[in-house]
Amino acid sequence: MSPVFAIALNTFRETVRDRVLYAFFVFACSITVLGILLGSLSVGQDIRIIEDIGLAVIAIIGGIISVFAGTNLVYKELERRTIYVIFTKPVSSWQFICGKYLGLVGCIFVVVLAMGLFLLGLIWMVEPSHHVAQVPLLGASLGLVFLELLFVLALATFFSTFSNPIMSVVFTISLWFIGHLGGSLLDLSKMSTNAAVQQLLSSLYWCLPDLAQLTRIRSVLMYGREPSQEIIIYMLAYVFAYIFFLLGLASTVNERREFP
Amino acid sequence: MTGNVIEARGLSKDRVSSFLLRRSPILDGLSLSVKQGETYGLLGPNGAGKTTTVKILVGLMRPDRGEALVLGEKAGAQSALRKIGFLPENPYFYSHLTGLEFLEFIGQLFGLKKTELRDRVKQLLELVSMTVDADKPMRKYSKGMLQRLGIAQSLINDPEVVFWDEPMSGLDPIGRRDVRKILLDLKARGKTIFFNSHLLPDVSDVCDRVGVLAKGKLVAEDEIKNIVHSGGHKDLEEYFLEKVGG
Repeated sequence: MSPVFAIALNTFRETVRDRVLYAFFVFACSITVLGILLGSLSVGQDIRIIEDIGLAVIAIIGGIISVFAGTNLVYKELERRTIYVIFTKPVSSWQFICGKYLGLVGCIFVVVLAMGLFLLGLIWMVEPSHHVAQVPLLGASLGLVFLELLFVLALATFFSTFSNPIMSVVFTISLWFIGHLGGSLLDLSKMSTNAAVQQLLSSLYWCLPDLAQLTRIRSVLMYGREPSQEIIIYMLAYVFAYIFFLLGLASTVNERREFP
Repeated sequence: MTGNVIEARGLSKDRVSSFLLRRSPILDGLSLSVKQGETYGLLGPNGAGKTTTVKILVGLMRPDRGEALVLGEKAGAQSALRKIGFLPENPYFYSHLTGLEFLEFIGQLFGLKKTELRDRVKQLLELVSMTVDADKPMRKYSKGMLQRLGIAQSLINDPEVVFWDEPMSGLDPIGRRDVRKILLDLKARGKTIFFNSHLLPDVSDVCDRVGVLAKGKLVAEDEIKNIVHSGGHKDLEEYFLEKVGG
């Protein structure tokens, strides 16, 4: 077994035994109550409401786990001094970072999958005749939520290599939030008449992550339409490139540090 | 390789205060060498720089000046780490794992094969008398049990060189006797051992040679047989106190 897989398995075990999976029950309770309550207030749109709220709650709970578990990922190893055992073995910095990241990805995958299956079950319970053709669209929306969580987790992992958990949470949430407003920066730069401001805003746009496209694709899917393949491929390439970049930076930062 | 398995040449390391960035030395031009198969004890009062020395030799810290070589490689190089075992002072491990899972995890870091790993873990658990408690979560372990497990993890790869930082710390007399036995067994198998300890009778029993560190400098170094028999000292404690001015 490679060190990456060993560290990933250890991180997965740690997160699961920290009772992170209990988040599923929070989801199950909130979506059942909220979905059925709000669904009954709408006329003929109850499934749509359950789907929308369900996906939003999955994104929020997944986001909370990614941010809080991710920002503690490396810090906890330093704090508990378990890092001494890792870096005195033939383990390189990138193997450590990748292993930690993949372990948490595995945990988030399990949580998102469990919540998604519960959401599907709830939809069928409320509307047994719900169109089977909608299932792949719901699955694709869940996939996009998961993709966004992968990005958030990479951000949190990066910050956890050089910052304490509180600051890492602040940095991660700020960049995640800014990621959804990226398009506005570009619009603002186009509106400005000052060339320097235009340059500054568009440079900022290109440096900061742009996650708004993910939300737009999700909306398209939820209206029962299929987004174009090009845009899906572009988003996948964009998010994965960002993840590799962040994990690469995290490995470099970690490589340079000492463990007194 | 020159026959020296461990070599430190002019190692210096400063502590830098976080606010005024003031530097104070932890290690000041430390040079020492350990030959293959030798058991070397690094002694010194608290704050002398013993743990820093070990951390530099295993690659957890980098010297500000000087050079550290282990098995002919730069300290901390992957090829050297593959052949060494390290026990940190007051070891802290993963509380969510059982002792057995922890040892398996460490073996996996070395890329040991499943059957080889299973046999090695079983053997090491017996060696440190932890077979009965192997399935308990580590958060339920006493300090002594953690120390025993720490020793076991440091031997999982059957290392050529062992670095142990305070291996007797937290152990009761039976534990200390067991560790002494393990040390003597490693020595009989030709392993090179480098360790720090405050427990001078234990050091005297197992070491071939000792170095005394004070304020980051090596103030004395000699073979145990010379200290006790021809050095005019009653025991190692008298030698140590004389050298550190206690």
